[in-house]
Amino acid sequence: MSCIPAQPTKSWLNKVPEVTLAFWIIKIMSTTVGETVADFLAVNAGWGQGATRSVMGAFLIAALVMQVRTRRYTPWIYWLTVVLISVVGTQITDLLTDGLGISLYLSTAAFSALLAALFYVWYRVERTLSIHDIVTRRRELFYWATILCTFALGTAAGDLATEALGLGFTLGVMAFGSLIGLTFAIWRMGGHAVLTFWIAYILTRPFGAALGDLLTQAKAYGGLGLGAMWTSALFLSVIVILVSIAQRHTRSPELVPTSR
Amino acid sequence: MLIPKTCFRPAVAASLTLLLTFASGCTKHTDTPTATTNAQAPQSGVASKLGDLSTFQSIATDVSSLVDKGDLSQAKARIKDLEVAWDAAEAGLKPRAAEDWHKLDKAIDQALEALRADTPNQTACKTAMTQLMQTFAALAGKR
Repeated sequence: MSCIPAQPTKSWLNKVPEVTLAFWIIKIMSTTVGETVADFLAVNAGWGQGATRSVMGAFLIAALVMQVRTRRYTPWIYWLTVVLISVVGTQITDLLTDGLGISLYLSTAAFSALLAALFYVWYRVERTLSIHDIVTRRRELFYWATILCTFALGTAAGDLATEALGLGFTLGVMAFGSLIGLTFAIWRMGGHAVLTFWIAYILTRPFGAALGDLLTQAKAYGGLGLGAMWTSALFLSVIVILVSIAQRHTRSPELVPTSR
Repeated sequence: MLIPKTCFRPAVAASLTLLLTFASGCTKHTDTPTATTNAQAPQSGVASKLGDLSTFQSIATDVSSLVDKGDLSQAKARIKDLEVAWDAAEAGLKPRAAEDWHKLDKAIDQALEALRADTPNQTACKTAMTQLMQTFAALAGKR
């Protein structure tokens, strides 16, 4: 993995992590954890969807403010923001579908169009969509807006596959897993790095949801019957381990940037 | 930022091992509860395109009789069990017949809404519960 690009770092260092296997594992697992937490608060704890949405929205804003204010990539803040975006992105789609009765075909199309528009504006303004040079506030805001959009799109497209094709989680894991594998193969064969990254980013949302369901759901439904609690505890431990390793590495003294 | 790949690889491998150990260990634990849940399914003739709905239907029957007795607060407490069980099974049930799932989901929502109203109204609760029981019956009839 490359280090900081050898270009002049304005006032910031790159604010986002390098894309490694650990990156994808954390990203996929955070989808399940986020969804379980939101579900737990809304249903089991009896907060209801409305209150859960407001609380999660407030947390997301707080995390984003922290993330935008840091001057360098700080793993726990970054991943906390991703988990909360995952929750809020899912809630946006659920609100549109269940609350406002908007068809999943329409929301999938609308989020795709919105994502395309975001990429267009981002490219027009920055002349790059690179995820390795998130070094200015404007670029970082493009980055997070795009991530929110991919989570909402991934939720809508995944739900659409369930509704329209009757795609259950076992087939879902295989179908989305194969698509991710295909995207990886295309990238390895020289496909556009930024494009394949964002495609994989969208696909890992329904893949993560299906994987979570596979572990969570009762054996009667073809799952492994771990239950939501155990699955989330398990995923959360893996996330915590990987994030603390990353956190420790950024703290190593020789890596502290020379003060500017 | 200089995260050496050499350090990450073993970490990832360790996490995955942990995950798999956990997963295989826990699967065995849950054998028993799953078996009991299935054994508890007492009613007959409740299979639908969605599969066996008897667990949900029997909770709904409890709620219904509590509403009939006029015990709306107990009914409100009991219907939460239905909400939690129904929500937990969504990913397993919905792909089997999304349209049927939505019908039942809507009927459950309306019952929840009636029982959780600021001042729950006996007639409204009864109507919602009758509607819900009819939806169960209709789906079982469809097979």
